[in-house]
Amino acid sequence: MSFRRAGVALLLIVIAVGLQTTLFARLRPFDAAPALVLLTVIAVSRHIPDELAVFYGFLAGLLLDLLSESALGLWALTLSAVAYATVRVKDRIAGDYRLVAPVVFVVSAAALALFALLGTIFGERTLADAALVKKILLPSLYNTVLAVIVLPLAGVLIGRARRTTGWRL
Amino acid sequence: MLRIPGLDRVTSLFILLIVVALTMMTLDLRSSGAGVGGTLRDGTQAVFTPVQQVFGDATRPIVNFFETLSDLTSLRDENEALRTEVADLERALQETESLQSRVEELEQILAVEPPEDLEAVTATVLAIGVSEFDFVRVIDKGRLDGITVDMPVVDEGGLIGRVVSATDTSARVLLITDPTMKVAVRVERTGETGILTGRGGGPLGLEMFNTDAVLLEGDLLVTADGRYPAGLSVARVAQAARAEVGFALRTTAVPTAEITRVDYVKVLVFTRDEGGAAGVEGAEEGGEIEVPTDGVEPAEGETEEGPGDSSTTTTVADNP
Repeated sequence: MSFRRAGVALLLIVIAVGLQTTLFARLRPFDAAPALVLLTVIAVSRHIPDELAVFYGFLAGLLLDLLSESALGLWALTLSAVAYATVRVKDRIAGDYRLVAPVVFVVSAAALALFALLGTIFGERTLADAALVKKILLPSLYNTVLAVIVLPLAGVLIGRARRTTGWRL
Repeated sequence: MLRIPGLDRVTSLFILLIVVALTMMTLDLRSSGAGVGGTLRDGTQAVFTPVQQVFGDATRPIVNFFETLSDLTSLRDENEALRTEVADLERALQETESLQSRVEELEQILAVEPPEDLEAVTATVLAIGVSEFDFVRVIDKGRLDGITVDMPVVDEGGLIGRVVSATDTSARVLLITDPTMKVAVRVERTGETGILTGRGGGPLGLEMFNTDAVLLEGDLLVTADGRYPAGLSVARVAQAARAEVGFALRTTAVPTAEITRVDYVKVLVFTRDEGGAAGVEGAEEGGEIEVPTDGVEPAEGETEEGPGDSSTTTTVADNP
């Protein structure tokens, strides 16, 4: 993978983390914010080779782990699973755009539920959160809405990088 | 490339990464968030703090725009509410003087030490946690300003959390709403003690040690002797409770601090190992908050669970 393409993919994650922790600190309809990094992993995973996508999810999750108080590897595992699920369905949703919104919603909700479950197993007591259902459903809903912008944008940026230099594995 | 027989390369890689992630989690859990994990976290936060500052500055106009829109719609209701509040405050003001003398009497009865001045460092909240499950605030003051691990953080309403890690220029504050946080509290009205537990997005859980205690709605809960200076406002009881048959007395409480709308905070220069930190270098002048400093050991039941817990206390004197 060339530095340029890797740079674009990593830059998208840094931007997503930056926006997640600043813009959405105060822009929180119904006291919830989208899971922007998760959405970015879905968006980018559709446009890069399968194995790189899974590894990309792992790296993005690792960055979240390092910036949070969760156990190191918790987000890495969750976002690897997101990337893996995305590469498994990307051919199907590429042929039918009506599936994009349901897939984004289901993958987001499943990932957040997985995070909550694993977090509890690893001592985070995430399932003890009184607003757990809201914290899974609302970010997933917001992700579905934001997918209209983020998915095409990632497609343009990653697609352009791919056309310029081509993927090498 | 490693490939598990019978599986394709993507699945093999995915399984390998699962194993790596589980190993990392286990190791991080065993080291209680300290060790290599803690060092990497501090390093990453130090690198990312300028990025968050840039994003915070760049997105502020957008946030302000949306907040202005929101404010306009609620302005009429707010105006009406303020009129009512002014009338209530005028009544309350008249009662304050007589209450003051009663408070002094009660404090003597409860053998509460008179409050001492604690230094405080004023900080701005730079960023929030990376997800809805991360109950953290990143502030723009760090070790160079005298901030160390375990220091309590307050706003004008009361306790919002404690510092769990600090770099030179920033620090992370774990909120009292985090499900792993427990705070020993005392009911100001009765002096009964109990434990407040974070419950994420919902109200805090309150469990009293004395199951015969009576809790009334609106009872103020303040920090008991322990990890935090005694007497800091923490929450108000949301629902009255009385144990019917002598089992555990549990109810819920709402934080007195504006946990979700915090812009500025004060970090109290106080750690349990030092019993108050008078004279810690680097603390900003001014911004003093009156709190008693008696009692510096964790109170009964007052712990934090999970990998974020760290018993390490870094002092300014240890740092350049």
